Amino acid sequence: MSTDLAVPADLAVPALASAGRGAGRVVARTTAVKAVRSALVWGCVCGLYIASSALAYASTYTTAREREALAATFGANAGFNALIGPAHQIGTVGGFTAWRSLGVVGIVGGVWGLLTATRLLRGEEEAGRWELLLAGQTSRRGATGQAVAGLAAGWLTLWGVTAGISVAVGRAGGVGIGVGPALFLALAVAASAAVFLAVGALAAQLAPTRRQAAGCAAAVLGVSFALRMIADSGTGLDRLRWFTPLGWAEELRPLTAPRPLVLVPLAALVLVAAGLAIHLAGSRDVGASLIPDRPAARPRTRLLSGPTGLALRLTRGVAAGWVAATALGALLMGLIATSVGDSLSATAGDREAFAKLGYSGSGVEQYLAVTFLLVALLTALVAAGQLGAVRGEEAEGRLEHLLVRPVSRYRWLGGRLAVATGYLVATGLIAGLMSWVGVAGVAGVAGVAGGGVGLGTLLAAGLNVVPPAVFVLGVGVLTFGTAPRAVAAVTYGLVAWSFLVQILGSAVTLSAWVLDTSLFHQMAAAPAAPVDLTAASVMVALGVAAAAAGAVAFRHRDLVGD
Amino acid sequence: MVAPAIHTLGLSKRYGDVDALADLDLEVPQGEVLGYLGPNGAGKTTTIRLLLGLIRPTGGHAEIFGLDCRLQPVQAHRRLAYVAGEANLWPSLTGAETLHLLARVQGHLDPAYRDLLVERFGLDPSKKVRTYSKGNRQKVILIAALSARPDLLILDEPTSGLDPLMEQAFRHCIHEAKERGQTVFLSSHILSEVEALCDRVGILRAGHLVEMGTLAQMRHLSSLTVEATFEGSVPDLSRVPGVSAVQVAGPVVRCQVSGTVEPLLKVLAVSGVHEVLSREPSLEELFLAHYGSGDVVEPVPVHVD
Repeated sequence: MSTDLAVPADLAVPALASAGRGAGRVVARTTAVKAVRSALVWGCVCGLYIASSALAYASTYTTAREREALAATFGANAGFNALIGPAHQIGTVGGFTAWRSLGVVGIVGGVWGLLTATRLLRGEEEAGRWELLLAGQTSRRGATGQAVAGLAAGWLTLWGVTAGISVAVGRAGGVGIGVGPALFLALAVAASAAVFLAVGALAAQLAPTRRQAAGCAAAVLGVSFALRMIADSGTGLDRLRWFTPLGWAEELRPLTAPRPLVLVPLAALVLVAAGLAIHLAGSRDVGASLIPDRPAARPRTRLLSGPTGLALRLTRGVAAGWVAATALGALLMGLIATSVGDSLSATAGDREAFAKLGYSGSGVEQYLAVTFLLVALLTALVAAGQLGAVRGEEAEGRLEHLLVRPVSRYRWLGGRLAVATGYLVATGLIAGLMSWVGVAGVAGVAGVAGGGVGLGTLLAAGLNVVPPAVFVLGVGVLTFGTAPRAVAAVTYGLVAWSFLVQILGSAVTLSAWVLDTSLFHQMAAAPAAPVDLTAASVMVALGVAAAAAGAVAFRHRDLVGD
Repeated sequence: MVAPAIHTLGLSKRYGDVDALADLDLEVPQGEVLGYLGPNGAGKTTTIRLLLGLIRPTGGHAEIFGLDCRLQPVQAHRRLAYVAGEANLWPSLTGAETLHLLARVQGHLDPAYRDLLVERFGLDPSKKVRTYSKGNRQKVILIAALSARPDLLILDEPTSGLDPLMEQAFRHCIHEAKERGQTVFLSSHILSEVEALCDRVGILRAGHLVEMGTLAQMRHLSSLTVEATFEGSVPDLSRVPGVSAVQVAGPVVRCQVSGTVEPLLKVLAVSGVHEVLSREPSLEELFLAHYGSGDVVEPVPVHVD
């Protein structure tokens, strides 16, 4: 997401040149510059999402009756509640905007926070740039304190930009959100970014590489999200909300019933995590970590017989993490699906409203269809991540060691893409399988045969998320062949755009043209709708064609570094 | 007829308005060790990346053993191995795993020679690449390339980061390669290394090949350094034909002589000279003559010897 932000490696040099004056603040300054730069971009994304939610709602639902009908449909919809949080007063512009923004933008902010913190702390250290800075007068603890201050500047920017756009849109006709409430909304939305900046800074002290640090922090985010999802699924486990920072952010209840006191545990968590990170930094060497890094290992050469085996070896750790997270999430979704689905199918009005959105079938199937949207998002992110790794091999000069040997560019790229496609299919299938295990498990305990949704249906729903991800892969390869430095921006941008449009489009009327640009809109809402083989085939065919064109372009271009 | 190891004709690479490499005509016969010299940005690495097919030429043509570098890279790469000046390897693999991978990808390998090289360079292959210093990473790619015993070794500043002992081990390996009849293309900054190893030397400046020949040929074209110590007063040598860059330090005069030394000897013979030293220019002096102002060439001690 923000990992591709082109940060000139020589930033440290002007900073060092001025070391005579403010030697103590070099780290703070360099970290702040980088954090603020990416916060400006992501603040705009968050702000614009809030603005589009408010404006689209105000123009789509103009009468009180329409708003009541919407509130009746979505207010009690456990599927959407689990996905993006509980709805409070969504018969009002403020209630709707807060509901849509908190869940979606909160997650985006959390991901931004953990990627930014681990990149600017562990990533810079791993690249050896901290050694340069620390050759000055700063201690390790002091330097980490400064870096955390730099991250704080980044967070303030994120909040400031989001708040600015929120205040502006609050004054628009039909929206009517005051300055104070708009600022509080931006604070609630940016809260998870603050939490995961701090968690990322802590993880950066624990793990020896940027990737491992980001993985640790992402695991915390995953668990927080899963807890919040269970709490918001209407299964009577509401109390779990108090065990996850994402739940606290929800309990701030901006624009409906603000509870500023809930800021206390959020601020406490941020301060404790950041303080712990600074404290731990003082008790280790530069480049070292608290989780011991084994410097030596017995050679494991089974996979290392060619470029494709190498690709598998290099990516399997991260991919296994993603697949395991998907498996756990899907199991969870399956386990709560039955109780949620039963409440969903209670009213005929619900079913009618859902049918309009393309969701048919039983309540359980409708709930699962909404949650499979999350699986589709994860799978598309796996595709984007794999392409980032492909580009990383070239950018960091490792690819040369293969291409100067008898390995053609097609063979190398083909191997990487085969491995990536394998991960996509595995992610989809494991989601289908584990959600079925959850559904069938609950049904078995309750003595209901089959649980109502078959294994075949859910495996098909799992495979249904693969074509959009294949399309992302294809577009990414085309970018890699023609504008290699833009790979991460294009792939993550495409995924984020598709998801935001789809979530927004599920409630308000967007023009058909805008909706059609979302990959997830092109995907059938399985298992609540039959898999659309035509749409799936078109996405796969376009993806393959784009990948082929990208491969030819790559074959004929210069290798380019960072 | 045996195809030359490297053959280029008008090979060029432009980046925007800048000629990274202009009209390079180069022929390296099989079995030769060629030194490729030039300051940073002269086009040495550009030449090598064009030969390897990593970048596309904007003009001209390059062949390795008669195989087109652009159209038949895989076939060409079966016969060569390359060592980069920056060894960016996979941090999570150990040294042994990296050597195994690169050997398998290369397709052929001499395990006994590899083990000998690991010992000779003093590499601990059980460590992860992440923990290696720059010098140790450099050893990994040197061992990977040398142990493949390719027909052609393309080396781009291969000893950067190596200590003087390892530098000696490297020279030993290149001598072995030469004895086996392998061709070596050695781009280097270390002039003593080139002087000790290479049959011919090419000098590159701002993308142009400005000099090419054996060291003996180059020395012949260049000037001689003469140092004379006088017992009495020091004569004025600056007007003697062929003499330039006269420096006087007490009773000692140092100067450059191009062409015949006869006029200078005649002057010296009648001036009460006590001692005369003369020597051929070092490669460093030749090199600096191409880049420096050209008139004041100090006999500087060479880098390592």
